[in-house]
Amino acid sequence: MQDFFELAVGAAASGCVYGLIGLGYLLVLRPTGIINFAVGEWAMLGAFGGFVLLTQYEWPYPLGMAAALAATFLIGWTTERVVVRPLVAKSAPLLAPILALLGMVVVYRETISAIFPPDPMPVPYAFGMGRLEFGAIGGTYQSCFIIGVTLAVFIGVWLFFERTVAGKAFEAVSLHRRAAALMGINLSRVTALSFGAGAVVAGLGGLLVAPNTSAHYLMGVPLAIQGFTALVIGGVGRVEGALLGGLLLALAEQLTVRYAPIPSGYAQGMPLVLLMIFLLLRPTGLLRARA
Amino acid sequence: MKLAAMLAAALFATAAQAQDSIKIGVITDRVGVSKPYAEPATEGIIFGASELNKKGGVLGRKIELLIEDDQSKPDVSAALARKLIDQGAVFILSVSLSPATQQQQTVTMEAKTPQMTPMNSADYLTTQLDNPYFWQTGPLGSVQIATLLAHAKTKNLKRVALITDNSELGQAINKAFRAGLEKSGIQIVEEEVVSNGSTTATPQMQKIRGANPEALFVAGVVTATNVLIFKSYRELGLKFPIHASYNLSVPIYQTVAKGLVNGITFVDAYDPDKPEVKAFEAAYRKETGHAPANLHGYGYDGIMLVAEAIKKAGAVDKGKIRAAMQSITYAGVMGAKGMKYSFAPGKRTGFDPNGMVVRVYEGDRQGRVIYVGQK
Amino acid sequence: MTSVIRGAAAFIVLAGAAFLMGEYHNDVYRKLLLWVALALGYNFLFGICGQVAFSHFAFYGIGAYSIVILLFQLHLPFPLAVACGIALCILFALAVAIPSTRLEGFYLALATLALGQLFIVVLNEGGAITGGTGGIANYRLPQFFGLNLRGPWYTAVIALLVVGTYAVLVRLDHSWFGRACRAVRDNPEAAAAMGVDVARTKVIAFTLTSALAGIAGMVYAFVDNTVNPPIFSIDNAFLLLFMVIVGGAGRHAGAVIGAALLFLLPFWLSPIVGHHQALVFGVLVVAAILLAPHGLIGIFDRLARR
Repeated sequence: MQDFFELAVGAAASGCVYGLIGLGYLLVLRPTGIINFAVGEWAMLGAFGGFVLLTQYEWPYPLGMAAALAATFLIGWTTERVVVRPLVAKSAPLLAPILALLGMVVVYRETISAIFPPDPMPVPYAFGMGRLEFGAIGGTYQSCFIIGVTLAVFIGVWLFFERTVAGKAFEAVSLHRRAAALMGINLSRVTALSFGAGAVVAGLGGLLVAPNTSAHYLMGVPLAIQGFTALVIGGVGRVEGALLGGLLLALAEQLTVRYAPIPSGYAQGMPLVLLMIFLLLRPTGLLRARA
Repeated sequence: MKLAAMLAAALFATAAQAQDSIKIGVITDRVGVSKPYAEPATEGIIFGASELNKKGGVLGRKIELLIEDDQSKPDVSAALARKLIDQGAVFILSVSLSPATQQQQTVTMEAKTPQMTPMNSADYLTTQLDNPYFWQTGPLGSVQIATLLAHAKTKNLKRVALITDNSELGQAINKAFRAGLEKSGIQIVEEEVVSNGSTTATPQMQKIRGANPEALFVAGVVTATNVLIFKSYRELGLKFPIHASYNLSVPIYQTVAKGLVNGITFVDAYDPDKPEVKAFEAAYRKETGHAPANLHGYGYDGIMLVAEAIKKAGAVDKGKIRAAMQSITYAGVMGAKGMKYSFAPGKRTGFDPNGMVVRVYEGDRQGRVIYVGQK
Repeated sequence: MTSVIRGAAAFIVLAGAAFLMGEYHNDVYRKLLLWVALALGYNFLFGICGQVAFSHFAFYGIGAYSIVILLFQLHLPFPLAVACGIALCILFALAVAIPSTRLEGFYLALATLALGQLFIVVLNEGGAITGGTGGIANYRLPQFFGLNLRGPWYTAVIALLVVGTYAVLVRLDHSWFGRACRAVRDNPEAAAAMGVDVARTKVIAFTLTSALAGIAGMVYAFVDNTVNPPIFSIDNAFLLLFMVIVGGAGRHAGAVIGAALLFLLPFWLSPIVGHHQALVFGVLVVAAILLAPHGLIGIFDRLARR
């Protein structure tokens, strides 16, 4: 039982990272209908940004983090303009930008691979390697930081969509593009911003998880798959779904490894099994969209 | 890194003009999962070839390296082997993935072209196919565990845990570790696998902690995953000693795992005190401007062995080279002091089973050799 | 009748080319032909039936591994091994297809992606049966009526596979089944309203193309006489998707062009850009999608129309 408490905070932190990646998908998916599998690579870019600014140049953490995220925003925004907008303008089938973004996965990964050595690179913890204890439950500083930041991000995003006019504009676009355009909402700006925001959120996920997993050029695809699974579990209807899905996925993963009486070689298949079960039984995810 | 490549290009531009250069094929991985190992090994090969050419080449002819990238894709690998043979390569050095080396073998066996991997450590490469034209001078997984165990035996271990990652090489090394441990009568109380791409190894380490082992053997070969294991180890406050595979000899641990590796013993094929190593490091530093890592040494030894075999054969003839290589003895950069590469009759693994060393991390640096061989 | 003659002519040209090439080019050509066969099947599944699936390569692998295991570990006679191998593919395909009829678009994609990854896990953990991480080597194609099918002769076999696959798929495409598939792809409700059994159409399409992939896999097993897990990794499934998209989804010629281009591109790029060929490859693929969202075949169409 003590193991469970020990795992809880760490698993929650992993779940938050998955949730952030899931949110990265969601912010792009809602207004445009595009599933962007390059979010994993965006996370990788955030991680490498952290490596360059925080490890190599030893900038103070808040400054380095802000700069890395600003860079990922720019990359997301640029990607939309260069890769997605021409396709939308040509009324290409919806599959085209999705596949173009899949091609971008290769481009991002190979660019990093060409610039940096192939070994994993260290990214510093926000507050060092200590532990915080709350009675039975305890977690590392980094885990608590991840949970705190993720909650703040999700609350912020939720408030944005629910309480601000700009957020309502996003909703309008995701519900009906043409009507939204007719209402005077600037579609291209919404789309560009959504890509930028998605990149920031994913990059944040990468930056937060990299102190544990290291920054390396192959880290994108596993994160992309985990983030997508989180989204499927939680549902695309509501922003909170990504976080809920991420938490459930991380808990399921780690609790299965810890407690299931099967050899751990097979336990790694657990998220895949979970994914397939959800797809079969509840493809819309756990949280329904609000009517 | 890039400097070595430019140097190589300059040298080989001139060498290629010489009609009678000796063509050596190299199949490496520049973009895929083997890149962290393959890239430094290839640089070592390029450096070695340039050194040989500066001294006049082999049998009076310059060495020309034909380098191909198989992207760690075994079927591309086999096609590239054919390409190299068609281009006149008399020897192929394989530094990519083990299954890729295996798939190349089906080609080199048929084409009777000598092939060697100076780096792959999978045990099955010389056992699955009976290919008299193939040699393996990388340190085998079984030799790694035997060396680690010989050292661990001084600690009288009875119950240990075993952990690895889910890469194909990690699984292969794990198999060798398991066999070695069982043969020594040591009980494996817990065996775990961490998936590459995981965000934590804590659940696995909790299970290991629950089994209360006397030591932990790490058979994993993916650095990022091993770092996760060590992080969980620290987080959970575990104290039992860690004995690790040769992946821990990769120098990047000194930067990416700061504060995590002190006291870990690992098996390596590199003794920094060895005179050949010191000479190699000095020469490499002089040529390229930075220090080599142990991985470069594998490639360097590979090309030197090939040159030795050709010299011994006295002619650039595949059959004679084969015979020469099979009967060769050579002291290279890798291996313990005094170790020589050699192939027993009918066997094609050349790394002396007593040639590995056990080293220990002192602080964040790869420290001294604390045990040699399997005795 | 003319189609049979055209088929025979195509076979003679494709197979004959093998005898004019050296060993290396033959090897590349063989693998190219196999990718073309796979792309044709995948094009039918994805382009014509609209099913986004990533399991194609898993079935390629199931075919390859099963023929090797059945022939060399269970020592079944060759025809029986082939039949069992195909039966296995059909069984697995049905096991995946039937539950999948309830899933749309990207949900099917994810489920098949999961299947592809599970397949690799099973191969790696398979111990003595699958050869584990090192795979299986050390076998040879058995002799047929005293004939040793090697080198260019084996290429001819693969050419036969390609021509046969093309013939089957084109025939299907032009039949009522092809029309049903397109109807299901474009508008499942309308198709159902017109009396098409949507679920059954999808299952048949999936099973058929997966079985074809399995047969291609059986042929592959004897190209290098090795099978191992990295050959069938999930990255190849994405490459297959790119081939079909870049070539032109829904068009057989598009699949051929896409497969040929994307397979040969790394070989052409490597000598030119060396180190960075994967990056250039990625950029080219993105550019191709940007410039020709309906596939390169669309460009040919426009040129042909002039």
